[in-house]
Amino acid sequence: MEQKLRQEAKALLEQNKVDWIIGFEPGSLKFTATPLITRDKNDTERLIINPFIVNNLADFLTGIKGRVGIVAKGCDSRSIISLIQDNKIVREDVVILAVPCPGLIDLVKIERLAGKDRDELDDISRDGDKVTVTVDGQKKEFAINQTLFDHCLACELPTPQEYDILLGEPGPPAPELEVSGQNIAKLKEALPAERWEFWQNEFSRCIRCYACRNACPACFCQRCFVEETEPQWVMPVPRWQDNLIFQIIRNIHVAGRCTDCGECERVCPVNIPLRSLAREMYGIVDELFSFKSGMDKEALPLMAHYEQEEAEDLFK
Amino acid sequence: MADKKVGKKDIAGLLEQWSQQFAVFAPSKESGVAAMAEWDGKDISFLDWYRNTVVPPKAIFLPPMEELFRFQKGKEGYNIEPPPKDKHKRLIFGVRPCDARAMAILDMTFEQALEDPYYLSRRKSAILVGLGCTNPCESCFCTSMGTSPTDQTNVDLMLIDIGDDFLIEEVTAKGKELIAKTSGLKGATKEDEAKAKQAKETAYNKVTRKLDTEGIKDRLLASFDDEEFWEKTAAKCISCGICTLLCPTCYCFDINDEMVKQEGTRFRSWDSCGFPNYTKMPMENPRQEKWRRVRQKVCHKYEFYPMTFNVIACTGCGRCIRLCPVNWDITQVIESVPARTEAKK
Amino acid sequence: MTVADTNQEFFAQGNVYLPHIAVIEKIVEETPGVRTYHFNFKDEKLRKEFTFQSGQFAQYSVLGTGEATFCISSSPTRRDHLEFAAQRVGKVTNALNRLGVGAEIGFRGPYGNSFPIDSLKDKNLVFVGGGIGLAPLRSLIWNVLDYRDKYKKIDIVYGARTPADLCFKYDLEAWDKDKTVNMVTTVDRGDDGWKGKVGVVPKILEEVAPSAGESVAIVCGPPIMIRFTFPALEKLGFKPEQMLTTLEKRMKCGIGKCGRCNIGNLYVCRDGPVFSYAQIKDFVSSEY
Ligand SMILES: Cc1cc2nc3c(=O)[nH]c(=O)nc-3n(C[C@H](O)[C@H](O)[C@H](O)COP(=O)(O)OP(=O)(O)OC[C@H]3O[C@@H](n4cnc5c(N)ncnc54)[C@H](O)[C@@H]3O)c2cc1C
Ligand code: SF4
Ligand code: SF4
Ligand code: SF4
Ligand code: SF4
Ligand code: SF4
Ligand code: FES
Repeated sequence: MEQKLRQEAKALLEQNKVDWIIGFEPGSLKFTATPLITRDKNDTERLIINPFIVNNLADFLTGIKGRVGIVAKGCDSRSIISLIQDNKIVREDVVILAVPCPGLIDLVKIERLAGKDRDELDDISRDGDKVTVTVDGQKKEFAINQTLFDHCLACELPTPQEYDILLGEPGPPAPELEVSGQNIAKLKEALPAERWEFWQNEFSRCIRCYACRNACPACFCQRCFVEETEPQWVMPVPRWQDNLIFQIIRNIHVAGRCTDCGECERVCPVNIPLRSLAREMYGIVDELFSFKSGMDKEALPLMAHYEQEEAEDLFK
Repeated sequence: MADKKVGKKDIAGLLEQWSQQFAVFAPSKESGVAAMAEWDGKDISFLDWYRNTVVPPKAIFLPPMEELFRFQKGKEGYNIEPPPKDKHKRLIFGVRPCDARAMAILDMTFEQALEDPYYLSRRKSAILVGLGCTNPCESCFCTSMGTSPTDQTNVDLMLIDIGDDFLIEEVTAKGKELIAKTSGLKGATKEDEAKAKQAKETAYNKVTRKLDTEGIKDRLLASFDDEEFWEKTAAKCISCGICTLLCPTCYCFDINDEMVKQEGTRFRSWDSCGFPNYTKMPMENPRQEKWRRVRQKVCHKYEFYPMTFNVIACTGCGRCIRLCPVNWDITQVIESVPARTEAKK
Repeated sequence: MTVADTNQEFFAQGNVYLPHIAVIEKIVEETPGVRTYHFNFKDEKLRKEFTFQSGQFAQYSVLGTGEATFCISSSPTRRDHLEFAAQRVGKVTNALNRLGVGAEIGFRGPYGNSFPIDSLKDKNLVFVGGGIGLAPLRSLIWNVLDYRDKYKKIDIVYGARTPADLCFKYDLEAWDKDKTVNMVTTVDRGDDGWKGKVGVVPKILEEVAPSAGESVAIVCGPPIMIRFTFPALEKLGFKPEQMLTTLEKRMKCGIGKCGRCNIGNLYVCRDGPVFSYAQIKDFVSSEY
């Protein structure tokens, strides 16, 4: 798969079909990959595909000028579709290099299972439904659904539907919806007061780094409401109430655009379970409008169009 | 005077004793996130898991947000109510050498020109008890940045792991005084001291990430206008605030007012040069483009701070590398800054 | 003079972050977007003892809305009240605009260095201003005119986009009448009643062509004007050391702590706002 990717990416640049390639190269820490954004064909030699290509690369599309060849997992491809529907990018300007994705390994889960930090592990390898972690020379085996990101366990589109070049054979989707929704289910069972306390606690750690917003491909506003000063919707200080309001409004703003790619939760430096909010909103959107962002490229953008009856309701 | 030592099992008792006199802070974990928090009076499990915190100890002295003052609007006009005097004396237990060095670096900014009363009142009355690292992270590069896993330079007391005990190095007068008043410590033997020496060497050698900072100030100055280099360097950065807000040497803050009815508060809160609005002015923004903001971050630490204070404002704690969502790595960046002769104008 | 020399006796309640309360005594509408505020401290003692120098700035608050930075636009030689001029551009300046005479504002300062007034003595002075940028120059110009015999030739080149955008028209008139001053006013676009020059400031400056010998040029205006004025002065033979400017950056603390006002290793609030071109030319092209 990697070889094919490198060849295709190089060819795209050489034949001047794209100006940029966005993919992954090996990261500087163990078990990491890092985004590679380049116009140099020699850099394509470094492109990789492995179970650690965690970033949703669609995030970079709105900030780049020119035609782009982009490596896309299923979730990334959904974000790309969603951006096209919102007129943020033009389909003709992207060449989608589709990666059939068997799910990404969540190092936080691995750390918890292995009882060691990621940099103390010798090796992590996957073989089908098993993940083997080597610590101090000893091998430990775990079931795959213990080690994948929650959003991967809930993945509805492991292989992009919309692509220009497919790198490898599509695998079967393996939703483990129950496992993926455990945190949310627990929260839903709690009493409102407990839930309130839970979120108060979580959001009191937020430092307003805005990594959740900046890593989110659906958060593409030129000027975000948190930065408005006239009127000031929320105070720019990391007080839990304001932090929570920021996140709630953010969730409302990405409703119908969020593809449950899990990036917000992954990037949060203080481990706020942001996907619980995002996924819940994703579920609500589906329930109310039967709409799943980025699944159907013919669909109209949910929040940017209205039906005749809705208009009549509104302007009575 | 011979050094003292304290048994690992006795740390809870030690902290208990110090709690009588100080607000004691120690590493603590909430939802998997390590930070310095007020010690709960029992838990010393951090001795097993603690490598370094996510939130640096600077947060105790320069909190993510704080009230500068409150005010009321009455018939006679505004009344400004200064903040209550800070009566706490704080003892931070388990500060890592990199973060202790960072505190010394922050002091320079808050002390120079006009003193910052909020930061300094907390800082001056505080005691830093350092804890030498035995298990540095893959991202640590302190030994390239003027410190080391067991460096005692910037703490009042330094604890070195020698197996069942910690050897206590008394560094400052404040530290000595505290130890003199502390009971239940044992005297360290020659053997303990030999063990400590060995531990230091071992820890030092475990820091494998190296960074050559030779001539970096000049290289950066020469590369300041090398737009191509900076654009390439900035390409994958998503302009979040992680690497600055959580950097132990970053100090930037914002000031904002809030008023409800006739009462108001002025806050200051962490801010970052990575955010576009940071320098946004009415007519234009000198750092609208991302590469200019990334350049500011790198140059501030490795060029401007050295120009002003003669020290690089990075201690190699590695947080920005560990926590970055896109694995933007400051050591790779510094290494890739073109040498003077290659730099383009 | 640097921020470190700031008179700490002027700190409200001994705390550098606390504002003094001042009262607006008069408001002058300069242009549709700019107002000058005359103000004085509420505290009797401070009213008498407060001193500052031309070029210094302060942090002004509309309490509850926030703080903004303005230079003190009145002259230290005329001390019955203080003045600042604010252009409406955002949150705090809009809130100021809603205030009337008698309203209370917060004041922290004076901060920053000042124009090196002693080294200007026995020199020819060339003042180059644009728009609201005349505010800090105005403080110095009145200061200099109040001791006119200590200085040599004085040229003032001032411009705005249109005649309606000219600030401090009463000053412009007074300087125009003053035989010891060569006052040149210009606009980018004239209108029917306009009799002065038409053209951008750097161009008009080249026409006026003040001589560089024994001279100091003092420049303040929008960044775009500053960027083109330095090369124009260089063409006229001015050396970087002979050109002074006051820079504007977004500020919060005003005292070298909050980080945001830097140009290279310099903080505009701590090391400025007055700089010589020699000090900043390495960074000015790309950071200002
Ligand atoms: C040393 C110095 C001296 C100065 N002297 C003077 C002077 O004498 N007179 C004078 O008029 N000015 C002066 N200024 C400039 C003055 O400080 C600013 O114009 C003022 O602070 C603006 O404050 P504000 O709260 O009204 O604007 P803000 O609301 O803070 O913002 C100003 C502009 O920034 C933009 N903005 C704000 N927030 C955002 C956001 N979240 N996203 C995108 N854009 C945003 C808006 O477009 C707005 O118009 C001086 C500045 C300095 C540094
Ligand atoms: S990523 Fe986490 S800490 Fe940062 S703003 Fe979002 S919720 Fe807050
Ligand atoms: S950088 Fe050095 S001092 Fe800091 S935690 Fe790592 S090893 Fe310890
Ligand atoms: S943490 Fe990484 S992505 Fe965020 S601003 Fe820093 S370098 Fe950029
Ligand atoms: S300017 Fe940037 S790098 Fe420097 S202290 Fe501020 S946030 Fe940190
Ligand atoms: S720049 Fe990075 S490594 Fe250096 S002190 Fe800051 S967070 Fe630590
Ligand atoms: S305004 Fe805060 S450092 Fe200059």
